[in-house]
Amino acid sequence: MAKKTYDLLFKLLLIGDSGVGKTCILFRFSDNHFTTTFISTIGIDFKIKTVELRGKKIKLQIWDTAGQERFHTITTSYYRGAMGIMLVYDITNEKTFDDIVKWLRNIDEHANEDVEKMILGNKCDMEEKRVVSKERGEAIAREHGIRFMETSAKANINIDRAFSELAEAILDKTAGREADADHSRIAVERRPSRAPPSRACCT
Amino acid sequence: MSLHKARIKAFEEILDQDVIDMQQLQKLAFNGIPDDKGLRSLVWKILLHYLPQEKNARETTLIKKRQLYKQFIEEIIVSPGGPTDHPLNMSPDSSWSTYFKDNEVLLQIDKDVRRLCPDISFFQSATEFPCPEVVNSNGIKRLHKRVEQSVLKYATLERRGLGVAKLSNEIKRAENITSGDYAPLNEGCEAHWEVVERMLFLYAKLNPGQGYVQGMNEIIGPIYHTFAIDADKEFRQHAEADCFFCFTNLMAEIRDFFIRTLDEAESGINYMMCKLNEFLKRHDPDVWTLLEKQELRPQYYSFRWLTLLLSQEFSLPDVERIWDTLFADSQRFDFLINICCAMILLVRDNLLGGDFASNVKLLQNFPPMDVSLILNKAATLGNT
Repeated sequence: MAKKTYDLLFKLLLIGDSGVGKTCILFRFSDNHFTTTFISTIGIDFKIKTVELRGKKIKLQIWDTAGQERFHTITTSYYRGAMGIMLVYDITNEKTFDDIVKWLRNIDEHANEDVEKMILGNKCDMEEKRVVSKERGEAIAREHGIRFMETSAKANINIDRAFSELAEAILDKTAGREADADHSRIAVERRPSRAPPSRACCT
Repeated sequence: MSLHKARIKAFEEILDQDVIDMQQLQKLAFNGIPDDKGLRSLVWKILLHYLPQEKNARETTLIKKRQLYKQFIEEIIVSPGGPTDHPLNMSPDSSWSTYFKDNEVLLQIDKDVRRLCPDISFFQSATEFPCPEVVNSNGIKRLHKRVEQSVLKYATLERRGLGVAKLSNEIKRAENITSGDYAPLNEGCEAHWEVVERMLFLYAKLNPGQGYVQGMNEIIGPIYHTFAIDADKEFRQHAEADCFFCFTNLMAEIRDFFIRTLDEAESGINYMMCKLNEFLKRHDPDVWTLLEKQELRPQYYSFRWLTLLLSQEFSLPDVERIWDTLFADSQRFDFLINICCAMILLVRDNLLGGDFASNVKLLQNFPPMDVSLILNKAATLGNT
């Protein structure tokens, strides 16, 4: 077996209505490209990217899911193992925003209680077609105590930042858990002097 | 005579029989249908039980079915009368409520047909035979118009002195939400993706228990493509109607894959995935054990393979070649399991040397490969 080339493995999941740009977000993050020529995701897709956070090599295993109801039995089985979930809506499409509540309920039902969540309002480069204001996005995130960001996979806005913030939140949690019980195989360097990252929305 | 010409002749001879010997046709088609002379288009119509075995009954069937399809378009798309009652009517079966529900289905279809086979230009190009009632309606009968998002722009009011105000930017209607090249065509023209959209919407309306499920676009796509490039003009002209019924027949056989509540049923997708997994275990215990150990679940890759009959795994010509064999399988779709298993066996060495991540990647992005290699391997595996 090859030597591990990473310190930690985080499993992330992308969910949200069909057509909001989940696959494009992931593609921008993993390959730094944007294309509109994506076929629709059927079932579940998968990408890997290693990032470095606080001197740790973190391997992100990211699962991209199909948006339509039919696939929920397939996709919800992935919720349990996920350490972070990105919930995506499209700022140019009201319904995808309204459905956020439904997706949050799904997370409550199927994911681990301590899963890190983040809401992303994607396609923020399309200002002329915007129907969901940033304030409304921030409000729903605040209401549920979740991080929020507006992103654009096309213009490459906040994509890297979203993934690293989510990864960092998980890292904090992992570190915190280690303080309680020292049974984890992976030693995580703690820096107690460091202030915990703010939970506030991006500005 | 070359081998290729001999094959064409063999097909022509069977198709010329008064009553087609189905077993003979299936046997021949199993090894691939030549691209020439619209043979694939015709043979698929017979294998999918759209055209009868009796040669002299074909014409009547075509006339009847094409007429029926025209009627569907008329009743469901051209003049459904529109909603008649009050839009705020709370009754669940008010005509407005139906209209809004239909639009939800349509929105999903619209998103997906604009993502159909983006690597080829066919679906974005204009059809030779647009639906006249739709394309000459000033846009209003076009289905995507119903779900097109338009945004009202507000304008800033600038005050210049007393009572003089001017709009600093013009009120403009947001342009189409269309992305990329899947733009609707001008009045009088219609792109192939618009035709596919119409067929899927009719299917959803006529099969309300099932509706539209993502992935159906990938099933109807190759059939429509095959029919729309037929060498025969008359067949090309009626590609839409013929495709609609062939798709409906095919869906009757595989629709359970698309129904969530039937996932666990013997006809459902979980059962198929289990069958493939068992088949793999029998034929390659080493690979099976490794995938099991890595917790690489069959649904990570085979859900899509099986649901879509492999249409997202290969290029369109290869998909069409694979479907020749699938449609010719008298035990449809047992041989699909063989093909999927053969695919895994052909990359077994890579799998055995790979970790979880590289193996999921490999199976989710199956490497381009000569399909005859896969089909030959599949044929050696015996019955499931």
